[in-house]
Amino acid sequence: MSIEEPIGWAAAKCKELGADDYSILLYSGDEGQARFGNNSLTITNRLVTKVLVLFMTKGKKRIIGELSTMERPSVDRFTERLFKSMMAAGGESDFPRLPAGPFRYSFNGDFDPKVADLDLAEHASRTIEAALAAGARRVAGSLSTDRYTISISTSTGVNATEDRSRFLLNVRSFTDRDASGQGVVVSTSLKEFDVESAGRTSGENAKLSQHPKEVEVGDYAVILGPTVAAELIQHVGSSTSAFNVEAGLSFFAGSLGKEVATDGLTLIDHGQVRNGINSRSFDDEGVPTKSNTLIDKGVLKTYIHNSATAARHKAELTGNAGLIEPHLWNIEVKPGTYSLEEMIRETKKGIYVTNNWYTRFQSYAKGEYSTLPRDAAWLVEDGELKHPVAGIRLSGEIPHQIRELDAIGKDRRWVQWWEVDVPHLIPALRFPNAKVTKAAG
Amino acid sequence: MDRDLAERAVESALKAGAEYAEARLQRTVEQVAALKNGEVEAPGYGETSGIGVRVMYRGSLAFGSTNLLDRAKVSELATRLAKEAKAAAPYFKEKIKMSREDVHLAKWRAEEKESLDDLTLEGILSYLKELDGIAASAGTDLKLVNRILFLGGEVEEKYFVNSDGSKLDSRVPRITSYGVLTGASEGRVVQRFVQFGEAGGWEALARMKVAEKIAEESSLVLKILKDAAKFVPGEMDVLVGHEVAGIMAHESVGHPGEADRILGREAAQAGESYLSSDDVGLRVGSAEANVSDDPTIPHAFGHYLYDDEGVKARKRRLIAGGVITELLQNRETAQTFGVDSNAAARTVRFDREPIIRMANTYVEPGDYTFEELLKEISHGVYLKNFMEWNIDDKRLNGRYVGHEAYMIEHGEIKEMVRNPIIEISTPRLWGGVYARGREMEFGAATCGKGDPSQGAPVWHGGPNFVLKGIKVGAR
Repeated sequence: MSIEEPIGWAAAKCKELGADDYSILLYSGDEGQARFGNNSLTITNRLVTKVLVLFMTKGKKRIIGELSTMERPSVDRFTERLFKSMMAAGGESDFPRLPAGPFRYSFNGDFDPKVADLDLAEHASRTIEAALAAGARRVAGSLSTDRYTISISTSTGVNATEDRSRFLLNVRSFTDRDASGQGVVVSTSLKEFDVESAGRTSGENAKLSQHPKEVEVGDYAVILGPTVAAELIQHVGSSTSAFNVEAGLSFFAGSLGKEVATDGLTLIDHGQVRNGINSRSFDDEGVPTKSNTLIDKGVLKTYIHNSATAARHKAELTGNAGLIEPHLWNIEVKPGTYSLEEMIRETKKGIYVTNNWYTRFQSYAKGEYSTLPRDAAWLVEDGELKHPVAGIRLSGEIPHQIRELDAIGKDRRWVQWWEVDVPHLIPALRFPNAKVTKAAG
Repeated sequence: MDRDLAERAVESALKAGAEYAEARLQRTVEQVAALKNGEVEAPGYGETSGIGVRVMYRGSLAFGSTNLLDRAKVSELATRLAKEAKAAAPYFKEKIKMSREDVHLAKWRAEEKESLDDLTLEGILSYLKELDGIAASAGTDLKLVNRILFLGGEVEEKYFVNSDGSKLDSRVPRITSYGVLTGASEGRVVQRFVQFGEAGGWEALARMKVAEKIAEESSLVLKILKDAAKFVPGEMDVLVGHEVAGIMAHESVGHPGEADRILGREAAQAGESYLSSDDVGLRVGSAEANVSDDPTIPHAFGHYLYDDEGVKARKRRLIAGGVITELLQNRETAQTFGVDSNAAARTVRFDREPIIRMANTYVEPGDYTFEELLKEISHGVYLKNFMEWNIDDKRLNGRYVGHEAYMIEHGEIKEMVRNPIIEISTPRLWGGVYARGREMEFGAATCGKGDPSQGAPVWHGGPNFVLKGIKVGAR
């Protein structure tokens, strides 16, 4: 069975049934993972998956289906069931026809076949050794690879397929219960998958963050290391989704063309970019992906769209289709001029945070949130790191904070991990004002 | 499902040298739809099936999955996993062992009156439109500015077999609904996330009173927007509502009581715990602090009778009289702790390993009526429910920001107030429990853990309860 066969069967059935439009995606992946804790492997994972996603329309009706059985009778039966369900469902709405192809795609060639043969256990062991050598006592993490092929066929003349590779490592080192550091490396190629460097970073930060002290609650400048910057800026990116604007889940409703951030902030979403692990040359409707400048020197330039949201907003397609809602591919924040040392030197009273988690919102529409630093964080006083801190929480309103953002780093790295879904190429950032609180009792 | 495939996977793994093997065939059929501001988003239908296989060789553990369900592919996977476990064994410095557990042969079904086999997208959309109409009609001068509502049903069937001899066949139907309701006026915004979920058939929607609650929640968003007064922070007593009690139990008792976190297995993702491995017996709260987790509650969103390692489920008393009495254990951690597994191993898809999860976590009821609880408070705030919340990864520093909240003066509920904030350490929270109500309520949630991630259906809940002398903040 060639990879395209299930797509062809589903397409033929869609035509036979009289669907107006269809878009069929086939994902075929082989994921490997080595997880570790307490300096020891805890499990290896091997996930072999083929999934067919089928979107079809008829008149004012549409439906999406997902199937994991790839034999022809199953694909035929499933497609028929989907068509019948769609016709019976009664849900009608206005949406456009799928964008007319065929299109020309330019695959950026970012695929490393070595992904299939990586010795995961051995690389995990090298990570642990590097962290221990840097001062860690306990090391935990997960090291993952994904080799996958994504194919698409649409009723509008699109037929395309491409191979992709992903290498990911998230490592966390501990020196005691309140002192830890994180390292992340994200790459599309083995060559740039420097696991020792991530292990070292986590071990060094665990060592440097020992014996944390409490700080007074109050307003502080906050220096966000790249991992924290990515975690918070991902909510800026998701606020550019036209779907989220319509749903009340964006703080950028009514802000197109307006100044929404400091003029130093430029945010780009790349359909394809070197080392961007979510790269694709086509979106889920077959439209070629591209690089979209979402925020240009502080001005919101565009929302991201699929064909349905683009039609409602009378906007150009951006190549970000998901079939239900648009999604981001790979976010880049343009570099600024600051080194991390300069940011610290220019901070009178602040906190430098290297990682965070559990950002939660009181209001998505206002961007009112709080988040918890985890791993190494330090009090900054009069331009110097004074001592490690623990047990604090940061809160604020993201729309205000990106307007006030007063320093953007010049050194960037790729970040993607448990708390950051979309990969970000991002530097350290500084918010001049965030509220620091801690638990009573 | 071809059950022979699971047997074959175990046989193949053992033949390839594995010392223990288990296989789980899993099939999930789901139908979902959403309305955004009354407009139908594309509805969905999915059929997902596959097999997950876990093997052990000299302390090395390997998990793998495939949805290519033919005999050759499944045998190939099991053999490959056994070989990978052998190859990786030197890197397992801490050798994994599993507790010895009873062998079970059982077939079980979650109760279902109106079968989800008969569920149609037409039915889902029709019900969603009714819900949306209710939300859209809430309020008089002020209306919701955004509404997004989701409704879905799924049937999950599993066949589990392991080399110890257990064979378990199960079927769990689930109904879930969630939404975000937004009100806005004069630059202010009030948002509310709502979620409903039960194990059961279509009848669960009536049991959960989804329509009534959407009406109530929609009106409340608008009422809070119009009427809630600025909250004045200070030290006071707090009447914790059912919903807040539930998330407190889940976040600051259930999670830190997961034995795999305590042992450091989830350290790089979900984090660790403020508890140590010798903390069973430790006092962490007042005598009124009583928290349990029970997978066997009928209709609960996290309902099951056997876990995904084949262990028979039972209620777990996590904190009794303020003392840690039991942790959540799977077979791996139970072996380390020298106890029996209490059936906390769960997996949400065929392609995910079983890990320790909560099921339905709750504060145990007391014997106070609501009026009696109020009478215990001369100056305080009633935190009926919440929107923003979070907690650190050792589960010591929790924050719960009120959505619907009222002042309490001399035992009486007074004016509605805006976003009171409890930011409290876990020992202070459970040490402050003074009195518990007798009425119980549960709510549904999706709990995140694992890498690759697994969103598990759970319930959490409890009675209303009184916390004495708490610092309450404001935005």
